[in-house]
Amino acid sequence: MNILRNYLITTYNVYTRRKLYTAINLACITLTLVVLMVITALLQNVFYPTGVEGKSDRFLQVWSLVLTGENTDQNSPLGFKTIDRYLRPMRSIESIAAMTFPAPVSVYHGQQVSELQMRYTDAPYWQILDFVVLDGRVLNAEDVAQGKFVAVLNQSSAIKFFANEKAVGQSLNVSGQQFQIIGVVEDVMHVNSFADIWMPLTTQPSSDYQNQIRGIFGALLLAKSAADIPAIQAEILTVAPHIVAEDPKRWQHAYLFADTKLDLFARALLEHRYIADSGAGTLLLIIAVMMLLFMLLPALNLINLNIGRIMERGIEIGVRKAFGASSNQLVLQLVIENVLLSLLGGALALLLAKAVLVWIGASGLIPYLQVNINFSVFAWGLALTIIFGLLSGVVPAWKMSRLAPVLALKGAI
Amino acid sequence: MIKLENISKTYQTDKMQTLALSGIHLHVRKGEFVAIMGPSGCGKSTLLNLIGLLDQPGSGKIFIDGAEVKSYRDKDVAKMRNETFGFIFQSFHLIGDLRVIDNVELPLLYRAGADKNRRELAKAALERVGLSARMEHYPNELSGGQQQRVAIARAMVGRPQILLADEPTGNLDSQMGNEVMEHLLELNQAGTTVIMVTHDANAAKRCHRSIRVFDGQLVA
Repeated sequence: MNILRNYLITTYNVYTRRKLYTAINLACITLTLVVLMVITALLQNVFYPTGVEGKSDRFLQVWSLVLTGENTDQNSPLGFKTIDRYLRPMRSIESIAAMTFPAPVSVYHGQQVSELQMRYTDAPYWQILDFVVLDGRVLNAEDVAQGKFVAVLNQSSAIKFFANEKAVGQSLNVSGQQFQIIGVVEDVMHVNSFADIWMPLTTQPSSDYQNQIRGIFGALLLAKSAADIPAIQAEILTVAPHIVAEDPKRWQHAYLFADTKLDLFARALLEHRYIADSGAGTLLLIIAVMMLLFMLLPALNLINLNIGRIMERGIEIGVRKAFGASSNQLVLQLVIENVLLSLLGGALALLLAKAVLVWIGASGLIPYLQVNINFSVFAWGLALTIIFGLLSGVVPAWKMSRLAPVLALKGAI
Repeated sequence: MIKLENISKTYQTDKMQTLALSGIHLHVRKGEFVAIMGPSGCGKSTLLNLIGLLDQPGSGKIFIDGAEVKSYRDKDVAKMRNETFGFIFQSFHLIGDLRVIDNVELPLLYRAGADKNRRELAKAALERVGLSARMEHYPNELSGGQQQRVAIARAMVGRPQILLADEPTGNLDSQMGNEVMEHLLELNQAGTTVIMVTHDANAAKRCHRSIRVFDGQLVA
């Protein structure tokens, strides 16, 4: 215990007496962990089942239809007809929802005009996604079937238009049409749920959408269980060849894929338009390699700093050896120093990452973002940092500990 | 106590070989105070380092307390250095990141089953060199003479049988040098064998005997 106390005293003194070195080392560890934690928290918010899209391990997205003809192709959102005629009858799904993508609309209330992000949806959309209803209710099958001019607002928009008044029951003019507010939901920032205002898709100014193969819609396919996801992905491949485009002579082939969130982004990024494989594996590999490279730079920096620091202490190592320290004891001492610094860096990173996420949320850079630290990411990041700390400490410590004490004492390193 | 038989040591660099010691035979008895003298670069410190197992001879045999040093395995020599030797260096070599008391305690930390009262032992050693008031200080807050006295306290705290001092007064003025010599003589009178490398003829005169090294060899 006494030797451990001596190591701890030495560690404390080494770091407090070499402030610049300690600051650089800590900054290196902390910034690496902060960036890792913030990026992973954001990625987790996008890709993992959380919050309003907590069932995303059970649903798939169909966001686009690719039509190809001779020497030409077109990638567009789905038409409602594609959803209604080709996707709704699929046997492997439990339910299907149709929604448009957020689009800006001008909303009038008295003298006030604001631009909101609007979605048209059907009723199942509100069952697949788990919105938190703050007041009133969400859209139901009757609203959609009867084309009622009703709308759901998010909390920020409700406050923007009605301040402290109750929003439910009030009216808003959306692009010339009068809608009654029937519910207010919590603000959300997720790929399928983000919007300020939601209306029944049957309230669109024209009913042409019903006959469109290509259009402005995306579909959510809910599986009975997460295990059914592959069956849905397989079935949709059999559906696509039957799709008949508005102009069948021009467009001979149709491609349609049911994607997880990760698939969706991988397909878009890697442009896997015509094949079932979205490229998610490749994307994950790219992300992993980038993260490793990102960690490699500070790791090399740490190794460099530690080698310099340990070399600088050659005489101390020589003295300790002269008075009976074994090589193993010296390695242990130097490694303890590194690991303690890594742990301190980890603790600082945790606080800083939390602060960064709070700042991102409050700054409005990404609207309605609510992201929390993922502790498993923190644990992994910290573990990696400790491993780097160990590696960067062990190698020079091992080298130094094996040096003949007479050379260490001379500083002849 | 210490016996060296036909010890040689060669230093090898990329370009050349330097013979540091050649054919050294030496016998130091228990309780002796021996001065090693000679010009700079003649091999005095190398000889001291070989005796203290801080370095390995190229050839020859070293006997400590009648037993030949056969193994230079890290663990074995660490134990011997800790239990048998105490070291005093010309440049003091105190650990700057540790307080005086922690520096003095150092040899006891590495001793298996060392006394639980090692702090008390360290304090007693500092008292013997008259520095108990400075034990919470850091080495850079002390004068050169004080630092060397701390180094003496560190060297003697583990009650070593053999004290090896490499020019212990070399960096000190004559008054401080005398004080340090008094401490070494006191330790020797208490039964510790002392081997000291020195350039100081006056200091050497106070030893039981002097040996001279010239060009890596002992001369009469």
